[in-house]
Amino acid sequence: MSTPPTSQQAPSPIGENVRRVDALEKTTGEALFADDLQFGPNLLYGRIVRCPHPHARILNVDASRALALPGVKAVVTGQDTPGTIGLYLQDRHIFCRDRARYVGDPVAGVIATSEAIAEQACRLVEVEYEVLDPVLDPLQGAQPDAPLLHPDLEDYEVANFIFPKPGTNISNHFRVRKGDVEAAWAQCDAVVEREFRVPHVQHVPIEPHIAIAQADRHGQITLWTSSQSPFAQRSLIADALGISQSSIRVISPYVGGGFGSKAGVSMEALAVIMAQKVPGHPVKLRLTREEEFFTTFVRQGLIAKTRIGATKDGKLQAMKTEYYWDAGAYTEYGVNVTRATGYSSTGPYEIPHVHADSYCVYTNHPVGGPMRGFGMPEIHWGIEQIMDLLAEELGMDKVEFRLKNCVRGGSIIVTGSEMHPVGLPECIQKAADAVNWGTDEPASAPHKRRGKGLAIMWKAPAMPPNAGSSASVRFNEDATVTVSVGGQEIGQGAFTVAAQMAAAALGVPVDWVRVHGPLDTRYSPYEWQTVASRLTWSMGNAVVAAANNARRQILELAAEHWDEAIENLDIQDGMVISYKSEQSLPLQNMVVYGLPKPDDQGWRGGPVIGHGSFMPTYVTGLDPETGQGPRSVVHYTTGCQAVDLEVDTLTGQITILRVAAAYDVGKAINPDQVRAQIEGGVVQGASTAFFEGLAFKDGVPQNTSFVDYRIATSVDIPYEIISIIVEVPQDDGPWGARGVGEHSMVPTAPAIANAVAAAVGVRILDMPITAEKVYLALEEGE
Amino acid sequence: MPMPAALDRENPSVLVMPGPGLPAFDYVRASKPDEVCDLLLQHGDNARLLMGGTDILVLMRDGVLAPKILIDVKHLPGMTTISFDPAGGLRLGAAVSMNTMTAHPAVKQHYPLLAEAAQAVASYQLRTRATMGGNLCNASPAADTAPAALVLNARCVTWGPDGERIIPVGAFFRGPKQNVLMPGEFLAFIDVPIPPPGWVGRYIKLGRNAGGDLAIVGVAVLGYPDANAASGCRFRIALASVAPTPIRVPEAEAILANMPITGETLERAAPAAQAAARPIDDLRGSARYRKAMTRNLTRRALDDVWAGLRKEG
Repeated sequence: MSTPPTSQQAPSPIGENVRRVDALEKTTGEALFADDLQFGPNLLYGRIVRCPHPHARILNVDASRALALPGVKAVVTGQDTPGTIGLYLQDRHIFCRDRARYVGDPVAGVIATSEAIAEQACRLVEVEYEVLDPVLDPLQGAQPDAPLLHPDLEDYEVANFIFPKPGTNISNHFRVRKGDVEAAWAQCDAVVEREFRVPHVQHVPIEPHIAIAQADRHGQITLWTSSQSPFAQRSLIADALGISQSSIRVISPYVGGGFGSKAGVSMEALAVIMAQKVPGHPVKLRLTREEEFFTTFVRQGLIAKTRIGATKDGKLQAMKTEYYWDAGAYTEYGVNVTRATGYSSTGPYEIPHVHADSYCVYTNHPVGGPMRGFGMPEIHWGIEQIMDLLAEELGMDKVEFRLKNCVRGGSIIVTGSEMHPVGLPECIQKAADAVNWGTDEPASAPHKRRGKGLAIMWKAPAMPPNAGSSASVRFNEDATVTVSVGGQEIGQGAFTVAAQMAAAALGVPVDWVRVHGPLDTRYSPYEWQTVASRLTWSMGNAVVAAANNARRQILELAAEHWDEAIENLDIQDGMVISYKSEQSLPLQNMVVYGLPKPDDQGWRGGPVIGHGSFMPTYVTGLDPETGQGPRSVVHYTTGCQAVDLEVDTLTGQITILRVAAAYDVGKAINPDQVRAQIEGGVVQGASTAFFEGLAFKDGVPQNTSFVDYRIATSVDIPYEIISIIVEVPQDDGPWGARGVGEHSMVPTAPAIANAVAAAVGVRILDMPITAEKVYLALEEGE
Repeated sequence: MPMPAALDRENPSVLVMPGPGLPAFDYVRASKPDEVCDLLLQHGDNARLLMGGTDILVLMRDGVLAPKILIDVKHLPGMTTISFDPAGGLRLGAAVSMNTMTAHPAVKQHYPLLAEAAQAVASYQLRTRATMGGNLCNASPAADTAPAALVLNARCVTWGPDGERIIPVGAFFRGPKQNVLMPGEFLAFIDVPIPPPGWVGRYIKLGRNAGGDLAIVGVAVLGYPDANAASGCRFRIALASVAPTPIRVPEAEAILANMPITGETLERAAPAAQAAARPIDDLRGSARYRKAMTRNLTRRALDDVWAGLRKEG
């Protein structure tokens, strides 16, 4: 929105590969994470008693044996947490009260002088359960006769764009009704219908969740935690406890990986409730890796039923889709995955007739929540495979088919909104060219088959329409600049990009700018959450606004000092200059002490502090019946990935030879960081494509360790990743920038699926594409 | 791995999972073999040996084992020593780390198959601690060094209350996670004889991903020229992860000893290995896939070894 004039003379740091501001700290090990903080001898430890049943009524909790264990200070239960909590739908008690809804649901918390004693005491808490019938499948859960998991659904507080269906297990139903799908089938020459499945997967951040909470005797609460969302956590916990936001202070040092799992509130509130029971004592709760797998957020499972049709010239006509989200026990955050995948349900295609239903279904599985891509990797798994199948049905080249149907500037998208200018066709062409699309290349051995596939994607930031950002810019005497933000550095490079933007907007060298953690809701400016790939764009707009505000103060001072018009002044490379009088002044000292008036008549100016904020006030609502509206989202980032791989027909193993990934980022503020995001997304996407998925047996997760749940390691990714940056500027982004943090994970899995199909004719509709599935399908095909 | 489903026998209302740390135990650093035997006899199941710790500490942390005493045997004479004698072969101290073993000149020169197998275990970082002795004693059906030890005719040299005992690796495993060590007895050395002249070996491991997984199937093949065999060659074949213990497959070996080695013979031997496999379904792979992979990877390993033999010859 607010793009400042960029300098002609001094080099701008925008578009430069500025070294990450946190690189030295992190590579030397000096960077502090939450578990590094020291709390002294008053520190107590918490552990959690968890329900062993997928669905049960809690009849009684008897903690007397636990309390008798030496070292145990207190036990908390659902009776200590009257309120409900949740981001979009308040459907959750911090500790279970009358009912537990997944294996691992927290029933009680034990506070003790050591973690080992707390753990031992957990096993002494006796809970009387009445085991209830579980819902273990979203199709079953959506049936009218399914066991009801949330009989109180109609009483829960809910955001006005979420539509629960009280009396059912559907906590949100998002509908698209565009055109006339039923009439359109008749005009189609080719129609394809398939069902796709995506399992629950885990974020597996290298740093497990941790929270340390302390309550003082006047009700003030401090929470130190590894967090993507200090402000949202403050707000949600305050609401749940019925206290003021100002009574909670959240401090978050560096985050050792989040991928969405540390957004919103998951385990942090448990520590707060425990701390309230032992005022004056900090209480530390850190999850084991096993707990990490299924007791925070997981990526929701999905069953997608899709039918699409096109005319014989290859033009898409109609799409009918049902998404059944296996959203788990509580859907306070997941309801918005349902919404986001509803309003993006076509993928990046222009389709005149669309009928889509996205159902958020309660199940007795772990709590679904945000994960990198926020539903987009899951829906594109099906969309991009069915597009390939339709192109095959039509006898069309898959690149040509996508170029013919993909969204372009001015396209009318699924919500009836008009698409902004977008470089998706360029992404498709460049990614395809990078893998020699259309050229058959030999496999490396007689028993291997080579294939190429590609997939395209779109994703918009999914958030409430009033998600805001703010920033401040303060000068030090030597003209170095402290930029304060409320967005978190979660490894994505947000602080570096903020420094580049502030430097460019102020006109100072980038190494004069400091952006630091920890985030502290007492001192940091407000930021909604570090999610949705929104910081470069939204926080960036706030940083630029703050820098412009500070710059204005400096220029006004200099204009007065020189008695010149402000329009003739500029700041370049740390100097205020006048283009008219050709005078110049260093920023040093004047930005704090001001400038002397003539003839020793005192001083003018003073310490320069700029402030700025941003909120996308131009986003409109959507019609609840049709999902149509003029501007449903701020913008979409689009891209394409092409994969060249080979399949070992004797084992089913897949080796990726190269991936070409092209994204329209609007403007790459730091191209190296864009490439790092692309590479990371490709790796994480490939990991989910090949290996990942929580296995459940009667609602009990079976693979809650890295022994049993495999993720890609460095030796699994020896292939080349060709990162291609396309820049069609975005009207509401700083320097035209859009986010790209999540997007590179979105098309990876379907592109691999399409390439496997091209190589060996095996079409895997249920993720992951394991070697075993491929091999057995080949054997059956023989 | 223990599942979170595991209910505490004493309190079934609690979900039991691996805890946040290790249970308390006493650490004893042994300096004489007899001291180890005495402690093992005295404490029974409450005492365990500590070598690399990559299995025992994990099992303790997961709550599967709760020994009260860990006896560190790394400082006993010879336990971390590798010695090679051109006549007698290789003697590996049971507590030699896998990285030390694979980097040793004698292992690299004379026993590349051992190095290949050890490098299939876990990750480089783990192998800095993990030992081949521990890998064998742990007696996992999926132990990657076991098939190599089997085809190399390795022997376990143990120390016990009655002194030294020599057990062929083929007789060392009793069942999943069970070995034949007697009360008070522990593994001191692994002896690997000089393999037959002109031998070629290969270990192929199939995991779900390329690094760090446990084997879905592991196949070791060792082949060597032998004028007494009808085919002119003998092959030894051993499998991991497809039976209650790592196994040799004599049926397939017999086919290869008795028929001229042709593509057809190799094609007949592989299903014989498959027939010997008795795999289970688990999270890593189904029994059906494991059986098919036993066949295909045996064939692949045989092809590689046969190609090597022809090159040598």
